[in-house]
Amino acid sequence: MSGAWLAFAALTGMVLYSAYKVVSTPLITHAALYLATALVGVAGFFLMLESEFLAVVQVLVYVGAVMTVIIFAIMLSDVPALVGDREASFVSRLLSKRYGSLPALVSAGVLALVLIAYGSVRWAAAPLKGAPEAVHPLLHDTTALGSTGVIGRALFSTYLVPFEVASLLLLAAMVGAIVLTKRDARDVPRLAPAAERETEAEERGGAKFWP
Amino acid sequence: MIPVQAFLIVSAVLFAMGLFGALRRSNAIMVLMGIELMLNAVNLNLVAFARYLQGALVGGQVFTVFVITVAAAEAAIGLAIVLLLARKRRTIEVPDIHDLKG
Repeated sequence: MSGAWLAFAALTGMVLYSAYKVVSTPLITHAALYLATALVGVAGFFLMLESEFLAVVQVLVYVGAVMTVIIFAIMLSDVPALVGDREASFVSRLLSKRYGSLPALVSAGVLALVLIAYGSVRWAAAPLKGAPEAVHPLLHDTTALGSTGVIGRALFSTYLVPFEVASLLLLAAMVGAIVLTKRDARDVPRLAPAAERETEAEERGGAKFWP
Repeated sequence: MIPVQAFLIVSAVLFAMGLFGALRRSNAIMVLMGIELMLNAVNLNLVAFARYLQGALVGGQVFTVFVITVAAAEAAIGLAIVLLLARKRRTIEVPDIHDLKG
């Protein structure tokens, strides 16, 4: 067993175990942290596939941004349902139809379909040589650039329009998220003026914040 | 060298688990996490094919960048909606939210 297979096995175990925990744990914070582990494992797979740029982006965007947003959303809201799931344990819930057997059946069916399709394909033993003209004349010397340079060139030549559309999408998502979560003025509990708070603190026996 | 099928099988299993998670949860954030798992399985597939089909190297990786972008936008908007629901309705259980049901 070579080192590559060892790394592959370790990453597979890490990703699939954390994915299983994401699916099964009743605690939403645990699910979020296991999801982060699974995403780091996928970044490891990206490294094995020689796309180091994507591995870095995966860790930065998913683990750095998306997971932080999810955990912040859980922690900053006071709704009990956000913190602890009310659902029953994994095994007992597997017996219910709508939240157990039917989803299991559907996903097992999808998995079986995909595996049967893979089984019916005659796979090439070695990596296939595609036509490099299919991308862009600039991209012929792909080996010299490394994956980061290749992706950079492709993003700003062949895929320029989708790239700009993606940036527009991110802008729209940002504006949408801000507008959606903006509190109305009447929602915000009014804070007492600073002087009142200080006298209250003195009455309770606490020290004044400002000397 | 590890054959491409190994990566494809791992990604298929990951996709099925994400689908299972998205279907069996009633908590909206858990459903979102299942969807993230599925998107990651798709990314793994794209990168594996990009690696093993040399001419398509750029295409697969660039599409993965786009999928990550869309996933980030989806997470931001989805969580904003969930927070809004939590604030106005005090619940984020999907079965409790059925205003649009005919």
